[in-house]
Amino acid sequence: MKTAADMINGEKGIIRDIDGSHPSSRRILEIGFTPGQEIELINKSIFNDPLAFSLRGTLIAIRKNEAACIILS
Amino acid sequence: MNNVIDKTFLITLVGPPNSGKTTLFNYLSGQNFKTVNYPGATVEYSVCKLLDRFNLEANIVDSPGIISLIPNSPDEKVAVDALYNHPQLGSPDLIIATVDASQISRHLFLVKQLMEAGFNVLVALTMTDMLLKKGLTINEKELSKELGCNVVKVDGRTGLGVDSLISESLNAIENPLFINKKQTVFLKDDVNKKWLIDIFKDIEGIEKRVVHHFVQPKKIEAANRKIKIFTDPEAKKNCNSIDNTTLKIDRLLLHKYWGLFFFFIIMAATFTSIFWIAQPLMHLIDALFEILAQTVHNAIGEHWIGDLLSSGIISGMGSVLIFIPQITILFLILGFLEDTGYLARGAMLIDKPLSKIGLNGKSFVPMLSGFACAIPAMMAARTITNKKERLLTIFIIPLMSCSARIPVYLLLIAFLLPPEKAWVGGIMLAVIYILSIISSVVIAGIINKFSSRIIKTTDNSSFILELPSYRVPKLRVVLTNTYYSVKVYLKKAGPIIFFLSIIIWGLTYFPDSSPKNDTTGMSKDEISQAVNVERLSGSYAAYLGKAIQPVMTPIGMDWRVGVSLISAFAAREVFVSSLALIFKVTGKEKSLQTSIVDAMKKAEIGNTGQKLFTPATICGLIVFFMFSLQCLSTVAVSRKETGSWRIPILQILIFTSLGYFFTFITVNGLRAFGIN
Repeated sequence: MKTAADMINGEKGIIRDIDGSHPSSRRILEIGFTPGQEIELINKSIFNDPLAFSLRGTLIAIRKNEAACIILS
Repeated sequence: MNNVIDKTFLITLVGPPNSGKTTLFNYLSGQNFKTVNYPGATVEYSVCKLLDRFNLEANIVDSPGIISLIPNSPDEKVAVDALYNHPQLGSPDLIIATVDASQISRHLFLVKQLMEAGFNVLVALTMTDMLLKKGLTINEKELSKELGCNVVKVDGRTGLGVDSLISESLNAIENPLFINKKQTVFLKDDVNKKWLIDIFKDIEGIEKRVVHHFVQPKKIEAANRKIKIFTDPEAKKNCNSIDNTTLKIDRLLLHKYWGLFFFFIIMAATFTSIFWIAQPLMHLIDALFEILAQTVHNAIGEHWIGDLLSSGIISGMGSVLIFIPQITILFLILGFLEDTGYLARGAMLIDKPLSKIGLNGKSFVPMLSGFACAIPAMMAARTITNKKERLLTIFIIPLMSCSARIPVYLLLIAFLLPPEKAWVGGIMLAVIYILSIISSVVIAGIINKFSSRIIKTTDNSSFILELPSYRVPKLRVVLTNTYYSVKVYLKKAGPIIFFLSIIIWGLTYFPDSSPKNDTTGMSKDEISQAVNVERLSGSYAAYLGKAIQPVMTPIGMDWRVGVSLISAFAAREVFVSSLALIFKVTGKEKSLQTSIVDAMKKAEIGNTGQKLFTPATICGLIVFFMFSLQCLSTVAVSRKETGSWRIPILQILIFTSLGYFFTFITVNGLRAFGIN
């Protein structure tokens, strides 16, 4: 199962689902990471964490463990 | 109808971060607002009266930026609860929800929630110019129909559309959307994933229907091409793309290695500014107040009232004002970094290592500022949204080696080194800084482990941060924010610092014993010096110093060091002048530092012939200054920023006992190794 945490720089993906068991999952959804949306990994910080995604016309940085609850199709 | 007009309405601005909410608020208030804390909380809101020229009697509240009505942290809960029922102002007659036109697929989420909760909502559509740059426009009539509430396009920077926003506000207040509808409060546990996803699906549909290509008359097409507005009816309606300039800049500033390089350059520039640019200004303030104090003292003469006025009140005011240059410079720089969009990116770059010790990428700037001064640093911690991480950052800031400790370290190092080996002093100072960084990291890690007990919050640590598009910072916005930060400092922390300085003055002045020695044949200055020496040695601070003698003995020191340590609570650098007084150093022949060092080298414990200051005890003192929190101004600001006395008191207790403990180990450890 591929998640947004596994993406490489410049890779695009479509969100299939959000893992509801993650403590940040609600906020991840509220900020706009919803199923069906296309996201692109724009940048990784040094240490490969946090990750900056392009989503709905903006850049959003989230930690890797939070990106792991974004399941890609 | 008449009594409707007479009433002062309450309008609350609500919107996600970066939605143009505060810009609009500044325009509506004419930048004349009050910043208030919610009762018992550290969360702030701003409130103002709507400017007279708008002809509407209303209070406007700028609430903290929120993403959702379902709070995710204690601070967000305070902000959301206050929307429903403001603790001072009651329930709002109208909510103006700001929505970034180029971000509607995310920002309408909150509007949808507000409507569902039963609020009387009016949407202010901001940044339509950004959308226009993508060749797109929103039909506000259609959007209004889709949402079921009115929509007005506004530009808070130019004021365009604000008049119609106000007339629509009055209209909305007179004809509320919902009559007698009970407001729904969303609870964390009732919210399910499907509900959230459905709201977004709904919004995506709305977006498709209301966003159109901007079709322009042929004539202005050429003109528009110049200002980079292109229209291509064939192109996909792509309002969900990031502007190219931002992506290009980020390729460099967020680059894995170059990004870090630029980060350190920017941070080094920030630090040097607060450290070096503020320094001459601080000296100026210091000198001005010294002259003022001297003048007053001379005018009144040798009397406690004169001394209260000069050394107590005037110096106390000086110790409040001395921090203003650093606070101003830090907040100017922070404002510019925030407004350009860089601050969020800097936080992202450095987040990983800081997250290991329970901090956040946003803790970096406050911690760095702590090396200049803890006062502006603690205030800068406001940018950290997560409460636990903010409190933890404030907690460890006193461990950063602030600039007031430099004179103390320089004196102590001068004692340890013979003059011909002065260069070793630089290395020792560097070692002190490195040790202070290491120890603060270790202590932050430990405190993080016990965070539920020490700082009493257990926020879910997360880092979800929007990286806004780069833009040219607006000087006026930055200046206003800086002005308000300084004002808040003066009003909230100022009185505490002032009051505590007077207490320290009282302790070091009273009971005001006069010299027993014969003063005949001494010059006026010498007499004054003798009086000062006698006064301090006989003061309550000296009594306290003698009372803590049993505590000082194990670390190889006596009451004279104790008095100086107590005096240093006014400001750490006072330790040096206090030592000079207590060892009767005048510094006439040589520099003050050399004279104090000479006097310290001669000082003995009682009449035992045993030296008071040895390399061991000096190292001990250095260690003590590294850890212990002995700066009342820091305590006052910590009280202000954390909202209670709990954290500042714990900081004093923990850091000062740590300081004592490590001093004990250092002194006795060195002695055990034969270094006396």
